[in-house]
Amino acid sequence: MTSTLNFELSNRPDFGTLTVQLEQGQQIFAETSAMASMDANVSLKSGLKGGIGQSLMRGIAGDSMIVNTFTAENGEGEVVLAPGPPGDMLHYQLTGNNLMLQRGAFVAHSDHVEISGKWEGAKGFFSGQGLVLLKASGTGDVFFNSYGAIIEVEVNNDYIVDTGYIVAFEDTLTYKVSVLPGLSLRGKIKSLFFGGEGLVCKFQGQGKVWIQTRNVNPFLNWINLFRPTNDSK
Amino acid sequence: MASMSSSINIATRWNGGVFKALAKRFFANESFFINEFTAANDGELVLTQTFPGDIECFELTGNTMYLQPGAFLACEPGISLGLGWAGIASYVGREGLFRLKVSGTGKVWFGGYGGIFEKEVEADYVVDTGHLIAYDPTIGIKMGLAGGLFSSFFSGEGLVTRVKGPGKIYLQSRSLDGLAAWTNSHL
Amino acid sequence: MQHEIIARSAASAAQIQLADGETVTCEIGSMIAMSSDINVETTSFERGSKKPGMLKSIKRMFVGESWFLNHFTAIQADQTLLIGPQQLGDIICHPLRTTALIVQGGSWLASTDGIEIDATFQGLGNALFSGEGIFWIKCTGSGDLFLNSFGAIYEVEVDGEYTVDTGHIVAYEETLEFKVGKSNASVIGSLLGGEGLVCKFTGSGKLYCQSHNPQSFGRALGPKLNPR
Repeated sequence: MTSTLNFELSNRPDFGTLTVQLEQGQQIFAETSAMASMDANVSLKSGLKGGIGQSLMRGIAGDSMIVNTFTAENGEGEVVLAPGPPGDMLHYQLTGNNLMLQRGAFVAHSDHVEISGKWEGAKGFFSGQGLVLLKASGTGDVFFNSYGAIIEVEVNNDYIVDTGYIVAFEDTLTYKVSVLPGLSLRGKIKSLFFGGEGLVCKFQGQGKVWIQTRNVNPFLNWINLFRPTNDSK
Repeated sequence: MASMSSSINIATRWNGGVFKALAKRFFANESFFINEFTAANDGELVLTQTFPGDIECFELTGNTMYLQPGAFLACEPGISLGLGWAGIASYVGREGLFRLKVSGTGKVWFGGYGGIFEKEVEADYVVDTGHLIAYDPTIGIKMGLAGGLFSSFFSGEGLVTRVKGPGKIYLQSRSLDGLAAWTNSHL
Repeated sequence: MQHEIIARSAASAAQIQLADGETVTCEIGSMIAMSSDINVETTSFERGSKKPGMLKSIKRMFVGESWFLNHFTAIQADQTLLIGPQQLGDIICHPLRTTALIVQGGSWLASTDGIEIDATFQGLGNALFSGEGIFWIKCTGSGDLFLNSFGAIYEVEVDGEYTVDTGHIVAYEETLEFKVGKSNASVIGSLLGGEGLVCKFTGSGKLYCQSHNPQSFGRALGPKLNPR
């Protein structure tokens, strides 16, 4: 099943950018602040997609509740979407199945796709970052981004991934989060503010998992020193 | 400068007179001292920018281009750098009051955060402020709301730059404000 | 041990294939993913101590905190380990043989068993960089040494003289001599021109440089962030 959207992914894997050519009346739904540029005849409306209930559920998963709707009016229109962090972007075609996305990875989706943050069996909540997931379902296009490059892995039996590097995975895989003591930095390093719990996720079964090659936590710990201090303002 | 052969000398000079240079320093965020690299013998010079991203080069043949502050990297001696008034609208959009005007004959190197892509604009085009790095002088710049009043603020887009062609524009595929906002969301 | 550098070049990762019983030592926090039959051990070294570890006679000294290492050992055949550094940038594998390599501490990612690391090394005068958490390690022995960079890595075969801004040095071979100084002849020029300290290398040997300077990047982005 092919996409109904006419799109192109460029600048991969370092600064993945999505360009979509919308037909008249066609729409794309994107996360806040993702728009880099667009034709002047594309309208931008922000709202709570899917009604208040859906948005509240998504809000629990950590993504903002607001979704931007871009519609090409009076003719075709181009939209260029670029997320905040340097990293990759990929397209996934939903064919009635589900795609699990890590918090912050969602960029945009086409019509006939639903995104939610809560469903039966939602699990994996640990202290700190852990694994906070969104579920994309329906028949349509989903675009997701990463911090760093994305590597696609076909899991056949077991595969272990540090939770800070998980971007997305097909729901045909089962997953279990636990602490791998050898990787934990808790209690060892005084200046560690983010991450370091040593959390890993073991995937089992058959399916694809997309992992990113960088973790936001070390970046946050490093850039922390360059932040202005409250008394310096 | 990242690295260079030892046969290259660096001389630092004020760019175009003290007063003009001071103005540039305070408003355009360009350091007003320019480093001039001269090779006594053949030598290699490696220049890089602060943020990761593409570096592009265009060759001017007597024409002019406008660059956003911070995008300028280097130029050949036949190029003159000047200050152009970008308008109050530009300041509101957080780009600063001035833009760098490069003109003359020779190569100009500029860099962006992310990938750089060029676009021939014919009529109207909308660019999120922070993504526009260079443009032809024939391009008209205007600030505007991204959507309706509600949408403009909640969309995260806020004010955008509306460009009017015909002319060429250069965009970068990431923005510093976008990176700062994303980082802040985790802190 | 087989390896491949993938996903280049702003967020490169190293895919390492371990045979049964093989070990690779990595900076802690660098594991991205791995197959399930790998043991992970952690060793750490306090400032000034000389505790022996899994690598032979390691001497450690670092600025501030303890330096933690993960040792990954395969307990079955054909195990894969995917590692990546903390900063954005590239990875290169340097085959260490007879000439020692002096590496900037933050640029060391991983090494195989035959390599010894001396972190008491005082290359380039640690005092110059002490405020910035930069330290230097000397790697000797034989094996594969994985280096990472902020930005792209480029190699320079120095034969004579070559000058590098100090924030752009990744590693250099011991056969090179160096001198640290200001970039400009005039003091004013040096401070105001924005160029920092430079290192002039002389002699014959390999030099690895990085295209971007982490301190410059941090200072440019920092002010835009929420205060702490």
